[in-house]
Amino acid sequence: MRLPLKAGAAAPDGEAATDPPRISERSAALIAAALALPGILPSHAHAQTAPDEGVVALRYLDYRDWQPGARRMTVRNPSLYALVPLGSSFAVEGSVIYDAMSGASPLYHDTLSGASGLGVTDYRTAGDARLTKYIDGNALAFGVAGSYERDYKSRAASFEWRRASADRNTTFAVGVAATRDSIDSANGVARNQHRETYDFLLGVTQVLSSDSLVESSLTWSDGRGYYSDPYKLLDTRPDRRRIFAWLTRYNRYLPGPDATLRVAYRYLDDSFGDRSHMVEASWVQTLPRGFTLTPTLRYYTQGAANFYRDPPFPEGSVQGEPYTADTRLSAYGAITAGMRLAKSFPGGVTADVAFTFYRQRAGWRAGGGGSSGLLEFSARWIEFGLEKRF
Amino acid sequence: MRELFITLLVAVLAAAPAFAARTGELAPTFALASAAGDTVDLARLRGRVVYVDFWASWCTPCKRSFPWMNELEVRYHDSGLTIVAINVDKRREDALRFLRDVPARFTVVFDAEGKTPAAFDVKGMPSSYLIDREGRVAAVEEGFHDERTTVIEQRIRALLDRK
Amino acid sequence: MAFPLGILAILGVASVAAGCATVDPPKPWEKGDLARPSMRFDAEPLAARATTHVYQSKEGAAGGGAVGGGGCGCN
Repeated sequence: MRLPLKAGAAAPDGEAATDPPRISERSAALIAAALALPGILPSHAHAQTAPDEGVVALRYLDYRDWQPGARRMTVRNPSLYALVPLGSSFAVEGSVIYDAMSGASPLYHDTLSGASGLGVTDYRTAGDARLTKYIDGNALAFGVAGSYERDYKSRAASFEWRRASADRNTTFAVGVAATRDSIDSANGVARNQHRETYDFLLGVTQVLSSDSLVESSLTWSDGRGYYSDPYKLLDTRPDRRRIFAWLTRYNRYLPGPDATLRVAYRYLDDSFGDRSHMVEASWVQTLPRGFTLTPTLRYYTQGAANFYRDPPFPEGSVQGEPYTADTRLSAYGAITAGMRLAKSFPGGVTADVAFTFYRQRAGWRAGGGGSSGLLEFSARWIEFGLEKRF
Repeated sequence: MRELFITLLVAVLAAAPAFAARTGELAPTFALASAAGDTVDLARLRGRVVYVDFWASWCTPCKRSFPWMNELEVRYHDSGLTIVAINVDKRREDALRFLRDVPARFTVVFDAEGKTPAAFDVKGMPSSYLIDREGRVAAVEEGFHDERTTVIEQRIRALLDRK
Repeated sequence: MAFPLGILAILGVASVAAGCATVDPPKPWEKGDLARPSMRFDAEPLAARATTHVYQSKEGAAGGGAVGGGGCGCN
């Protein structure tokens, strides 16, 4: 299972563009009402037998977001991944990702005052490692993950069992993970706070034909502890969060155009109340000379958390009751459009570049009912990747 | 009467299902074309020890099995071993591309329709079948594993010694 | 809360997979196309991590997971 990666920036909202950025905003941006819903760590390791080839991959992501008239936040994410087969029945893999965030994510009302923070960058390092043992059509994987930054630390461990049928056309997976987070905010609001989450995953992959397959998985997550955002005034969230997610993916190869269609749908139900749907489609088109072009389109829609209140702040907040003005928990829809170009070179080397554009709008919520008083939010990210198989 | 009997016998034999290739049984027959165009017929190889290997361009372990089979060919061809590697790619150019990167010194034939792997009841890719001089399946290997090569080579030598 | 929905989800997918007229699981020698990187769910771990990383920070919840399986079934 993927060990939870921490959520990042706080939701944008309608803060005036003139306020100076503050140090804590980057931290706040890193702290999450964090959902760490794990999934299985995306991996090169197959269910059936130890991989034949090792992999080393490098990636660099450059992210920037903005709102009408508001400041920008930029994030730079270099990352590294490696998979090493050990003999014919073991494989070890791991990755490291580094976040360097600067600029400001406009916060609605935060508690920090004074600190100028201009030009300060916040850092976060996260990593994971996994060891898989293969016996006779079964794979057993044990993994650990961690994330570290000044005011938030996370550690997790996971275990997963995958089993393939005799004809290798059906694969089952079951996994568990446990996570412990520690929060110590720079402004002293959250002092020595903790959170523990347990996750359980059940999934199946079925090969439908020589050109198509489907995968479906269910994840249950149960967390207890501190969920509030200490950098937001009056932000008080329940101390328990239960999440259910159902993800289905389907791939089909089309010999005619020599392309693959990939579609995915995810339903997510959250005890916080922000139920969401996500649907995504990609078209992987083979081109001459080892090139591949992949356009992607994604639509996401979510409801607001039960305790989310529309602006103006602090309307709707009641002493002793959960409350948030964090627009990340508001109702909205979002569209992503992306394009990726990859080229494979002799010697098992692949290079790729991708550009993605993202926009969130309350008005795009499916069925209407998006939260009011919110500015449109946009982002773009560019990625460069290099991979070698050996 | 005798003609009727022979006709019936032929009809029964023709209708008989293909043998799954289990050890001890006669290997299923095949006659497949090589890249050069000539036909390789298993029946004509009776008297030699035959190592039949099912491979494909998309089968990554085959990148390691080919160099090993090349060594076997060099070492044992004159002693009576024939290696026949049956390619099952749907597209010939994929197989040819593989052979350019990983050359083969042994005989390579093509069966894009998949009749021969079906006759041998291949359970996984790659698969190899060691056939003795009498045409019987002596051993079946599923997958290619470096640690199995010594055992397989010992078996080949044992069969070659049995004249 | 989500348990009955979960059961429904499993049954739904199982019945689609079972009842679908196009379910025709391939023989081991017919899996060439399934081995393509574009057909795998796990072909690009780093790109997948990077993207999930971004969405988690903007939408809070990313999730579900990969199961493994598919591919050429070799070895």
